[in-house]
Amino acid sequence: MTTAPQTARATGKGPTTGASTRAIVTGTSGPGRHEAKGRREQLVSWAFLAPFMIAFVLFLVWPIIHGIYLSFTDQSLTGTGGGLVGFANYAEALADPTMWRSMGNTLWFTVLSTIPLVLIALVMAVLVDRGIPGQWLWRLSFFMPFLLASTVISQIWVWIFNPQIGAANNVLEAFGMEPIAWLQNADTNMYAIVIATVWWTVGFNFLLYLAALQNIPAQQYEAASLDGAGPWRQLWSITIPQLGPATVLIVMLQVLASLKLFDQAYQMLGGVSSDTTRSIVQYMYEAGFVGYRFGFSAAISYIFFALIVVIGVAQALVVSRRRNLR
Amino acid sequence: MLAGTAAALAGTAFLAGCAPTGPGSPGAQTLQFWHLLSGGDGVTMSGLLDTANAAQSAYRVRPTVLSWGTPYYTKLAMAAAGGRAPDVAIMHATRVAGYAPGGLLDPWDVDKLASLGVDESTFPAPIWEKGHAGGDLYSVALDAHPFVLMYNTDICDAAGVLDSDGNLTPATSPEEFLELSRAVAAESTGHGLSFGYLGDGAQMWRLFYTLYTQHGLTMETPEGGKSELDDDAAIESLTYMQTLLDGEIAAAQADYGTAVAEFATGNSGMLFTGVWELRTMQAAELPFNASRIPTLYGTDAVYADSHSFVLPHQTSPDEGKRELTYQFVADLLKGSFDWAEAGHIPAYLPVTESPDYADLVPQANYADAAQYVQYDPPAWFTGSGSNFQSEFGAAVQGVPLNGNDPAAAITDFRRRVDGLLAKPNPADPEGTFGS
Repeated sequence: MTTAPQTARATGKGPTTGASTRAIVTGTSGPGRHEAKGRREQLVSWAFLAPFMIAFVLFLVWPIIHGIYLSFTDQSLTGTGGGLVGFANYAEALADPTMWRSMGNTLWFTVLSTIPLVLIALVMAVLVDRGIPGQWLWRLSFFMPFLLASTVISQIWVWIFNPQIGAANNVLEAFGMEPIAWLQNADTNMYAIVIATVWWTVGFNFLLYLAALQNIPAQQYEAASLDGAGPWRQLWSITIPQLGPATVLIVMLQVLASLKLFDQAYQMLGGVSSDTTRSIVQYMYEAGFVGYRFGFSAAISYIFFALIVVIGVAQALVVSRRRNLR
Repeated sequence: MLAGTAAALAGTAFLAGCAPTGPGSPGAQTLQFWHLLSGGDGVTMSGLLDTANAAQSAYRVRPTVLSWGTPYYTKLAMAAAGGRAPDVAIMHATRVAGYAPGGLLDPWDVDKLASLGVDESTFPAPIWEKGHAGGDLYSVALDAHPFVLMYNTDICDAAGVLDSDGNLTPATSPEEFLELSRAVAAESTGHGLSFGYLGDGAQMWRLFYTLYTQHGLTMETPEGGKSELDDDAAIESLTYMQTLLDGEIAAAQADYGTAVAEFATGNSGMLFTGVWELRTMQAAELPFNASRIPTLYGTDAVYADSHSFVLPHQTSPDEGKRELTYQFVADLLKGSFDWAEAGHIPAYLPVTESPDYADLVPQANYADAAQYVQYDPPAWFTGSGSNFQSEFGAAVQGVPLNGNDPAAAITDFRRRVDGLLAKPNPADPEGTFGS
C-alpha cells in the first residue's frame, strides 16, 4: 500500500485509484507503456464517473452559472427581454419590501422551528435511551412522520387546523378557549406551519441524538454513580456535554433545512401567499413563475445565496472557536 | 437489453397511435387542445369534445388537461414563447391581458369567424368586448361564469321570502338584503347565508367587486400609473361584507369548502358562490334554486370571468390546421348547450336564447347575468388565479376576521396594486403593445 502515493507521483496526474496502483505495481515494462496504460485507466475511471458528472454539470453547475447570468438580464418567462440590465434586478430586490419581508419570514421560521426541533428531539432521545418501556414503539412512532412526503403531512395538518371541524380547535374548545382560524389568520399561520414542521421532521434529529447517546461509554455513568451522582447530575455533567458535537451537527443541518422553507407552507396554505408566511423561496417562485420575471427571480435567489453563505461561515467560525477554546 | 427493445417497440406502437390519422377517422387532422377544466367541468368538456369529434371527419381533437392556476398558465406561456404551442387552448378572459402583449397569442381573424357564424352579434356585448386587446380579438368566450346566489327553497319558503313562482324576492338595497338574510337565518339550522372566504383572496374579491361595481364604478389599473378605486364605494362595500359576516347571518370564520358543505347539507338558506358549484348541489339532491346576485347599490353588475378560446402563438402555423381550429371552435360554441350543465352560462347567444335553454332550471334563472358581467381590471397581474386576487385577500381578510378598519384595508390594497403597477410588464417591458 505504501507504493500508492509514489506511483501517483510517478505518473504525475490523476486520482490514485486502486486500479491504477495495481497496474503500476504489476507492470514491468518501460515508462512509455506505463503512461499509455495510465491514460487508459484514467479514461476508464472518467467513463465510470461520466453518468454522475454529466448530470452534475447539466443540472447543478450549469444552472448556477446560467442563473448568475440571468440575474443581470431582464429575461421573462414569456420570451421577451433577455438584454443585460446590470445590477438593476439587485437594486430592485434590495429596495423591495416584499423581498425583505420574505427574508424576515424565512429567518423567523428558522428561529421558531430550530429551537423546538433540537430541544424536543433531545428530550425524546433521552427518554427513549433511558429505557422507558416499549422502546421500539417510541422509536418507531417518533421517527415515522419523517418518512411521509410533504404533500401528505400538509393534507393531514390542513384537516387538523380546519377552523370548524379540525382537531386543533376541538382541543382548544375542550379547554374552554375560542376557536382559531389557524392557517387563515395572519397572526397564527406561521405558528401553525412551525407546529406541523416540528411534528414532521423532529424524528430525524431524534435519531441522530439517539445514536450519539448510545455512543456515550457506560463506564462514565458507572463511575459517576459510584461517586454518588444522581440521574440529573449525570444528565447535566455527562450526557449533555458528551452530546456537544452531535448538537453542533444537528443545529447546522437544521438551520439549513429550515432556511429552505417552501413546500409545507405553500401546500398548507393551498398556494395562496400570505404576507406572514411567504418564504424567500416562495417569493422566488412567485417572481419567476407567477410574475414571469426570471431575471428578477434569479437576483433574489443569489441574494438569498449570499445570506446562506454568511450564516454558514458564521456557524463554522463559532464551531472552530469552540474547538480552539478546548 | 430485451426490456429496452420491448420499450422501444412499444414506443413505436404508441407513436403510430398518435399519428395524424387517428383511429376510426382516416384522413382526420389531429388538433392539440389544452385546457384547465377538471372535475365536473372536465367531464362535461370531454362530452362536448366527443360530440364534436363524432360529428365530422375532418379533425380530431386531442385534449391535454393541466392543473388549474399558475401551473397551467406557466406551461402555456412557455409553450407559446417557444413557438410550438398547441393549436388551441382555453384561457380565462381576464388573463389575456398578460399574454397578448408579449406575442404569446395569435389574434383571431374576425372575418373568418364571421363566415362560420361567430361574430359580435352572437355574444353579449361585454363578453365580446373583453376578448379584445390592443384593437385585435385575442379570445373568443365559451362561457361566462359569474358569482351567483344559490338558495334552499324549503328554508326560504319557510322564511316567507319566495314569490308565487318560487323565486327569491329580489332585494334592492343593502338593508333589504340584511332583513331578508335575517329572516332566512331564523329558519336555518346553521347560518342564513354561507360564504367561505378564509385564506381565499379570490372569494373575497368576487363578492367585493360585485358590490363595488354595483355602485356604477369600475377599478382602473392603467399601466405604469396609479390604480383608481373610489374610496367611499370601496369602503362601503367592504363594510357591508363585514356586516354580513357577523356570525348570525353568515359565519364569521368559514373557508370555501366549509361554506359549500354547510349549504349542500341543508344547514343554511343561501350561498354566495360561483356557478361551477351547481353540479355539487344537484348531486346533493337539495331543493334549491339560483339567481343573479341582487342589485343592492343601483347598478346591475356581477363579478365574472370567462373560459375563452385562444390561439397560442405558433411560429409557423399549419394553414390547414388553423382552418380546422376555427371550425372546431365554431362547432364547440354551437354545441355549448351541454356546457350549461356544468352551471356556466354559454356565451354564444343562439344557445342561451333557444327555447330549450329557457326550460333549463336553475341555469335560465341567472342567465341574464351574462349581460352585466364585470371582469377584473385588465393588467398583466390580474385575473383568475393571479397575484392580484391573493393580494386583495391579504389586505382585507382582517376586516371580517378580526374587525380591522375597512378604510385602512382599502389603503393597503391600493398600495399593493400600485406596487404591482410600478413593476415592468414582463410580457411587454417597453410598453409598446397597442400603441
